[in-house]
Order: sequence, then C-alpha cells, then structure tokens
Amino acid sequence: MTLLICGMGGIIVAGVLIAQRGRTMFIRRIPGLTAIDEAVGRATEMGRPVFFSPGLDGISITTLQALAILSYITKLAATQGARVIVGLRDPTVLPVAEESVREAFTAVGRSEDHRPEDVRFVSDDQFAYALGTVGLMQREKVATNFFFGGFYAEALILTENGQALGALQVAGTPDPTQIPFFIATCDYVVIGDEYYAATAYLTREPTLTGSLVGQDISKAMIVGLIVLGIGLATVLGGVTTHNFLLNLLAQGR
Amino acid sequence: MTQGALVLRIVASLVGSFVLLYILHRVLGPRGRRWLIAIVTFAGGLFYGLEWYFPVHGHPAKNFLTDYIEPVSNMLAVVAAFTVGLGIYSLCQVHGRNVARQRPGWYNSLAFFVAMVAMFTFGLWEHYLHLPEPAPAVLPWPKAIYEVLFSGLFVPLQAATFSLLAFYIASAAYRAFRIRSAEAALMMTAAFIVMLGQVPIGAWLTDAIPHTPVLGFFRLEKLGEWVLRWLNTPAQRGILFGVAVGALAMSLRVWLSLERGTFFSEQS
Repeated sequence: MTLLICGMGGIIVAGVLIAQRGRTMFIRRIPGLTAIDEAVGRATEMGRPVFFSPGLDGISITTLQALAILSYITKLAATQGARVIVGLRDPTVLPVAEESVREAFTAVGRSEDHRPEDVRFVSDDQFAYALGTVGLMQREKVATNFFFGGFYAEALILTENGQALGALQVAGTPDPTQIPFFIATCDYVVIGDEYYAATAYLTREPTLTGSLVGQDISKAMIVGLIVLGIGLATVLGGVTTHNFLLNLLAQGR
Repeated sequence: MTQGALVLRIVASLVGSFVLLYILHRVLGPRGRRWLIAIVTFAGGLFYGLEWYFPVHGHPAKNFLTDYIEPVSNMLAVVAAFTVGLGIYSLCQVHGRNVARQRPGWYNSLAFFVAMVAMFTFGLWEHYLHLPEPAPAVLPWPKAIYEVLFSGLFVPLQAATFSLLAFYIASAAYRAFRIRSAEAALMMTAAFIVMLGQVPIGAWLTDAIPHTPVLGFFRLEKLGEWVLRWLNTPAQRGILFGVAVGALAMSLRVWLSLERGTFFSEQS
C-alpha cells in the first residue's frame, strides 16, 4: 500500500514537473465548474449577493480546496462588483477565509469594496448553522449559492431553502453520501474527484494542470490493477497464499 | 511543579508567542510570510508523514517521533481554541451592529445576546456547583435554569430541525423523480425498485414469483438488493477511488505549497 501511494505521489509530482516545462495539458470540460462564472454573473446582473459555504469541516484538505474555490469566486465577484457573503461553521476556518477574501479583493484592485463583516461565523452546532445560514440567505436575498466542502445532514436543509428562494445553486463535495441530495436540489454539481480538480480547472496554471494529469494517470493505474486482479482471480480461481500480486490487490499488502 | 510556576509559564509562553508573532508580522513582508507558511506547512507534513511511515519497535510500538505526536496535537488544539474567541467576536460584531443601527429584525440579534449571556452564565454557574451524583431531587435554581435552557430548549430545537429533513427529502425526491429525460427515467425506475424492495408491500407484490434461481431474481426484494449491491456499490467505490487520488494530489500540492488560493501567490 505504501509503495502504491508513493508511486501515485511520484506520478503526480512528475506530472507537475512536465507541465512546468511548458507542455500543454488537456482538461475535459466540467459543467459544474464552468457554471461558476455564469452563477456569479447572474448575481451581478440581479444586483444581489453571492453566498458561499465551505461546509462543516475544520481546516482539512476538503476545506482548503473550498477556500481556494472561494478565492476564485471572490476575485470574479469583486471584478464584477458583486458582494460575496461567507457563512462558516468552524471558527478555525474564520481567519483563513477572512484572509482569502481580503486577498482576493486586493488582487483585483478592489480592496475598497471589501466588507470584513461579510465573512461570518454562524454557529459551531450543525443544525444551528443550517438554520442561521438559511436565515442569512433569506434576509440578504442571495441570487447564487455556492456549497463547496464537507457537508452532512444539513446539506438538504440548505439547498432546499436555496431552491425555494430561487437562487442558482452550484455545489461540490467529495462525500458520496451527500452527492444525491445535491443532485436533487442544485443546478450544477461537482462530484467526486472533480472537486479536487477545481483550482486546476479554474486557474489553468501549469503546475495544477500537471498535477491533475498525474492524478488521472494514477486513477487509470488503479483501474488497470483492478482489471488485472479480476483477470488473475478468474484465471487462478480465487486468492491464494502463494500469489503475491493477488494478495497485494486483495488485501493491500 | 507548583501551580504558581505553571501559571507563570503559561503567561510567559503566551506573552512570548504574541511578541514573536507581532515581530514576524512587522518584519516579514507578504513574500516573507508566504515563505514562512510554506516552511511550516512542509515541516508539519513531513513530521506527520515520517511518524506514520517510519518503522516502529518495542511495546507499545513506536518510533523516534511517536512521543512528539501528543505535544504537537495539543499545540494545534491550543491554536484552534484561540479561534473560538474569533468566532464569538465575529458574532458579536455582526449582531451588535444590527442592534446598534436598529436594522430590520434587530430584535433577533438582541435575542442572540440574551441567549448567549444566559447560556454562558448558567452553564459556568452549574459547572462550579459541583453537584453530587446522582443529582438531588430538587435542583438548585442555577442548575434548574440551565436544564431548562439546554435540555428543555436547545436539544428539542435541534431535534425539531433534524426532523425537518423528512419533509425536505420528500420535496427533493419529488423534484428529482419528475421524468424529464432518459437519465431521470432510469433513476426513477431504480429508486422505485429499491424503495419497494425495502418495504413489505414490495415483497407482497411479487409474492407469486417462485423462489427459483432464475425467476426468484425478479422478486422485488431480490431485485432491489441487486441494484444496491451490483450497481450502486461499484459506482460509489469508483467515486471513492477518484476522491482518494484527488485528495492525495491536493495534499501533495498543499504540502509543497503548489496550491493556489489562500496564502499562495499566483504562478508567475
């Protein structure tokens, strides 16, 4: 397992290095991420704010990805003159989100439009957060909702109310248990590993696209191993103690 | 160590940390700060990575880094605890402004302050009452008020919010199952089979089908199980594989400070 993880890590780093040498990488279209521009544009046209939730998790890989997407959305909104409201559940995310939004406004030269009070801590309790956020969405009459991060039972409360408000909703989560709820209630959904492709897709920076290509090669490698495992198990009639490769595939060691 | 010496150490550590942070903040420019964050991130990732992968010996099994895991985790918990204050400050700032400017719905913000102060006061008060176990039949009034606020108000409100999900699931399912495309029709059919397969009426509807290997497959409870086991589970595992590889790539990008967004500059 360690070898497999190191191998995949190596492939991803190799992808980054190749991309940094100037080789152009192709990324397929991801509708959920393409819709971000449209969603921010809609809020601008309607003269109403954009709402962003980075989910319930504390500082984690999922939340860091959400904050990177928030940075992109804020830059876009700041350029167009739209307001971005961020509702947070975990106080550890608050200073990072505040910094992210402030830097985004500064980066596009609109620091005078930055409103520090728009990055708000709502509550650290799951359902209090859900209701507080719904209240925020209704009072501010948001035109667009972005839900990117780790969500749990509150996901449906948030998105159903957003739907009732008539907001355009774009959601993304790596958690398969919440994906069906988002698909049922949101206009665009970024699912599974598409979530981790967001910054590469949105910024098209060589380093990130390189890592994305490395990621895809790693996935192809896993699929290849699965097919190989199925083939060997079929031919050899099950997992045997003498077959190193089959044991590796079946038990991860 | 005496309690006085411990308090002195804590105060000295806090003052030292604040002075160090202040100096770093003043001396380092944006570029310097990014470098510092990159170095700390790399060192932190390397520490946890090495601790996990380095061979362990002895009983309990540990390597040369294992003993430092707890102090480092405590350090992170202390840093996280400071941010709770930031959260409260953020709430007070937003709601205080609503009350001060008498914005529409300002009374809700006032209710927030009343609730926060009441919970804080009676929560601490009952904590320091040091009541015996089991609690006496007649509770002292601070404890009784706390019970009303927490068990009588907060917990039922949470349960009520959670129960709302049942209605939201129904309305979301109605919207999702409207047949507008081939995919929606397929989803509706699969959901219909799985839902009926889970309830007794499903088994009753196909009760006439015999339990033979071939025909028995078409009994709704079998068909529902087949959809879950052979269609749903592989699809979920496929997504999980992708997520795991994506998380690995993202972790590497964060560890090596290649990720864009917060604290990382644009690529030149």
